[in-house]
Amino acid sequence: MAGRAGLACRPGRPGSSPARKRLKPLRTVVAWRGRAEWDQVMVGLYCGDSRLQQEALDRVSAWKSRYGPKMPLAVDCTAELIRCKVLDSSGRLKSHELILSYGLALVRFVNLITERKQKMVSIPLRQLAKEVDIPIWVVDLRHELTHGKLPRLALCRKGCDVVLDWLRKTYWSRQLGNNLCEESEDEEQQGVEASAELDNDAWEIQTPQHEACQKHKEFHEKVRDVLISYKNEQFRVMQTVQSVSKSRELWSDSSSEVDWILAQIKDLMQENREAVAEALLSDGFLIPKMDCLKMLNIKYEANKELWQFKIPQTFYCFWQPLLTGLLSRSFTQILIEKMFVELKECSDSSELRPQFLINWISEMLTGIAKVNAGKKRQQHCNKQVSVKELFLRKVPLQWIRLTDSCLEAPCWATPHLLQLILTIMRPRLPRSSRKNLLYLASVYTEGGGPLSSPGISSDCSEQPIYTIESLQWRARQENQVKNQAQTVEKQDDVLERDDGVEEVEEEEEEEMVTETNPLEGLAHSGNLAAIAEKRAALQGSAWQITADEVQWKDFPLGKLPGQTDDPDGLMLDNYSMMSLLDQPVRDEWKPPSTNSAELNIPATGGLLWTQNDFHKIKSGLQLF
Amino acid sequence: APGRGRPGGSRRGWRRRRRRRPRRGRAGRAAAAWRGGARRREAEAAMPARRGPPARRPRRALSRGARPAPPPPASRPPPPHAALPPQALTFTGKCRLRCLYGAVRLLGFAVASHQPGLPVFSPATHCALSLEALPAERPPAADLRQLRAAAPFFSLPQKKEESSFTPEDAVLASVGIVKCSSERGLLVSESMLVALEELIQACCAEDEGVPVVLVCGPKNTGKSTFNRYLINLLLNRLPSIEYMECDIGQTEFTPPGCVSLSNVTEPILGPPFTHQQMPCKMVYYGQTSCEQDTERYLDVVKYVFSSYKKEVPLVINTMGWVKGEGLLLLIDIIRLLSPSHIVQMDVYDWKAMAPLTPEYVHLSPGLYTKGKQQAKCKQVGASEVENWRSSEGEGDASAPEYKLLYVHPEFPRAGIAGEARVHSSILRDMSILGYLGQLQSPDIGAVLPLHSLVPYQVPFSAVALRVIHSDVAPTNIMYAVNASWVGLCRIPDEIKCESEGPVLLTQTPVCDCLGFGIVRGVEMERKLYHILTPVPPENLRQVNCLLLGNISIPNCILVGQQGVEGEIPYVTSDYNYSILGSGKLKKKKHFKRREYAFECDYA
Repeated sequence: MAGRAGLACRPGRPGSSPARKRLKPLRTVVAWRGRAEWDQVMVGLYCGDSRLQQEALDRVSAWKSRYGPKMPLAVDCTAELIRCKVLDSSGRLKSHELILSYGLALVRFVNLITERKQKMVSIPLRQLAKEVDIPIWVVDLRHELTHGKLPRLALCRKGCDVVLDWLRKTYWSRQLGNNLCEESEDEEQQGVEASAELDNDAWEIQTPQHEACQKHKEFHEKVRDVLISYKNEQFRVMQTVQSVSKSRELWSDSSSEVDWILAQIKDLMQENREAVAEALLSDGFLIPKMDCLKMLNIKYEANKELWQFKIPQTFYCFWQPLLTGLLSRSFTQILIEKMFVELKECSDSSELRPQFLINWISEMLTGIAKVNAGKKRQQHCNKQVSVKELFLRKVPLQWIRLTDSCLEAPCWATPHLLQLILTIMRPRLPRSSRKNLLYLASVYTEGGGPLSSPGISSDCSEQPIYTIESLQWRARQENQVKNQAQTVEKQDDVLERDDGVEEVEEEEEEEMVTETNPLEGLAHSGNLAAIAEKRAALQGSAWQITADEVQWKDFPLGKLPGQTDDPDGLMLDNYSMMSLLDQPVRDEWKPPSTNSAELNIPATGGLLWTQNDFHKIKSGLQLF
Repeated sequence: APGRGRPGGSRRGWRRRRRRRPRRGRAGRAAAAWRGGARRREAEAAMPARRGPPARRPRRALSRGARPAPPPPASRPPPPHAALPPQALTFTGKCRLRCLYGAVRLLGFAVASHQPGLPVFSPATHCALSLEALPAERPPAADLRQLRAAAPFFSLPQKKEESSFTPEDAVLASVGIVKCSSERGLLVSESMLVALEELIQACCAEDEGVPVVLVCGPKNTGKSTFNRYLINLLLNRLPSIEYMECDIGQTEFTPPGCVSLSNVTEPILGPPFTHQQMPCKMVYYGQTSCEQDTERYLDVVKYVFSSYKKEVPLVINTMGWVKGEGLLLLIDIIRLLSPSHIVQMDVYDWKAMAPLTPEYVHLSPGLYTKGKQQAKCKQVGASEVENWRSSEGEGDASAPEYKLLYVHPEFPRAGIAGEARVHSSILRDMSILGYLGQLQSPDIGAVLPLHSLVPYQVPFSAVALRVIHSDVAPTNIMYAVNASWVGLCRIPDEIKCESEGPVLLTQTPVCDCLGFGIVRGVEMERKLYHILTPVPPENLRQVNCLLLGNISIPNCILVGQQGVEGEIPYVTSDYNYSILGSGKLKKKKHFKRREYAFECDYA
């Protein structure tokens, strides 16, 4: 059912009451603000008091403006006929003039209403009129009016009344489900139904995933608790020595406390590695909050280039013991992939998160590169440096998967990260393929550009080539086509399982996002600056930005805070008229050259028309 | 950078200045080294065929009295790129295009590898875009092989379930486009090619005045597509083109209902709703057709044209209304704007519209202007025609001097009104939505609902108000204004008001329109309009007039308001269209207008 709820129609209500069984009308746009206004106009038009009728006609004139050419015929015809009646009762017109007025209104009514029923082959009016229950004599009256003698005023008046009555019965009292007597009750019921339906929907959406989500949340909390205890322990150590550099050393000496925490996390990892990775990447851990940086005495640099893909050293040392303990082969893969996923989601923002993600990925990759590249050398210096290293053993990762994830999270740093991956990757890709990939990545991220580094910059004079293969490759990166799972399956069975888990997780994440409703927050924080800027630019102008704190999102277009549904709410009691004297005569325009066609208006010469000329031409003044 | 292009200063004038595109980032610089070749090709591409001595002056098209024949197509040799079938990819969808190697042409616009990514839109509702490869050296074969060597990695699963689905399709789909048959793309007829060639020649020639090209023809003959193609071709050689929009029903750069003059510097690679931009001059006419008030329409056209500086070639688009009064109006417009070239698009039978030769236009009456014949009695006598002939060089009584170019579209269903792929009102709604898209903040990925945005407010007394298209009782005018689409305009007059209430204009001004907005609400107590608009504040402060026309907010905006409690104003699900009289006035399809008899006029 929910799937059917398109833009223009709202989901059908459950057919509880038999009256609702009929085809559900679409949600459409009309000229009245609400039912109250519609009712007011209908009652006004048919009330018989010409002052009230005139007021209703005035409102219909606004409707006509709103509707433009889409004005409902019946409303138009009713208004025209009522106008005649108002004129009639004003006593300002003589009978002949009245006959002409009534006559045109009647002719228009018969023609317009029946024309809707016409087919390609014309059907006689009488027959059509019979079909729609218009008295035959009214059709005859139309015939007299157009082709015969002008009828008497009395007959016109009678015709007008009959037609107005027809319009009331066939249009006004049937439209909007308007069976005047039962109306109020009906509406109430509708409201109840609608709200019940809403509740239903909400419930349905929640139930299936609710449980899994709950479980996930609990687990997440558990991991967070352990991580918090790690943080606290590290801070405690730092406080004991006062100096940051000393604490770095202390942090790297494994303590029993840290070992215990590590064991706890490893336990949790047995249960769900992804959730641990997720928790690590939630705010406050590997991605620090500002206060944490302050405590560690790290100066935050807004300029991303300045960090050179490095995590600030103190912060690195803070987490290094934990990470070194955790980063097994499989967890490394999961964590880096997860980082890319996170990066994909926040690559636009300019906050700490993307910056730290990029730098962590870079640090980890560099670490892997070191450990993979020179085992011997690594062992040699192990005694002094190992404290700093994230990886102690070689970590052969699934590099192609990593490349995929990297390319799925395009950002300014992608070329750098991709290059790191391509350098470490074993088996290596052919050199030209690496080059092409890097080039494509830099094109895609525009402005990132291929970074100067040994692999590629030396020979960009060689023209890179974009082949179907590289496109195909991209295709795999970009859209999560179903067949991706199949390819991966062939490569690695274990991965397939991971994929499944990951998918579930992604869904859950989405749901969590919808729960918190990110729009609200963004609308406020992001736009406030822009609004302030606009406000400044409008200083001293009549135009302003509303200063009041209004929750605009609660108010639909056409409705303001505090406005009621009172149909008279927008009536004006005073206004001033202003005429523009100089419109639209403008003489700046000159005939471009003598060879333009002449107009033969001797007075002005050439093509210089003024409003004045137009009037002269129109009023038939013979100038020529 | 080595590929900066020749400095424009050495030669005078705009014509010689090559188009220079801004280059961003390091990628551009890295690509600069191999740009040289591409630039040359780009220049070649700009001219589909350049042969023979160029026709310097607009020829007096055809001898008077003779029925103008359609241009002889057979005599011309086929253009070079027609000889060898160009490698082309016709597609629908949207993507960002960046040329990595060689050069391609997209709807006339040459894209070489130094250019930054171009957003490209080819929806199914419009003539599909085609990527044509421009002739270039073949890539070294070795490199190709090397790339293939990375094989296992690059292989795509071979799915054989649908024979039509190739790996290539998957690749294209991944960037957001779908290949379609070449017939869906722009079919350049021989006559079109000839016309384009002539126009490019004229626009790039040194010794002539600045060309003013007026494009006209009945509905659905491809005027807009021709304009886009022409402009793109010209942009290969010139830094900018002016474009004047006189078709108020289907506007290119603005929301509907406007006559405007725009400076075009970027290629047009998509339908109007993808490139809404602020024109140099714009007047809000307020209707999607001008039948009801042709007089004001001409005033508006005149006003907008007056700001054309004649420094850059101008392309003028006109309405598809070329029958009856529409043709007369077109003749008025031709007299008013005196173009140097007229491109008349029509199917071969000339039923819809007479050939607009200079002689024909000279002699025919317009709606507000007189033709030569009518004026005869006023002039000195019967030898007047003779006079006109002899004195044409001096130009005091000559026919309008322009070159008429015929273009016969050859795409299927050309010229058949009502056969367009999408209803025009939907395209208008799309333009409005495209315009309103500017209200969304670029930093936020999500689209915010309009009603949640913070509006501007302006007191009743500071802006004058006028309903263009209908008479609304002044006391009820706010019912018309509330939740409506308004043109934000600037009138030279100072807004005088005697009371606190709104200021209503007694006539519709012809004035600059600075943009559009939605009246989000009308606050009666504090006498304020609340308006949502993307018009920047520095322009907004000049706005002192709101014009309300016959163009309404797309229904989906009102209907689709989410997260609102209670009823949405102006939206109901209880209106039943099946009740007689609930619909609008429909024009009867089988009711035919009397054909405008033109045969005698040019014979």
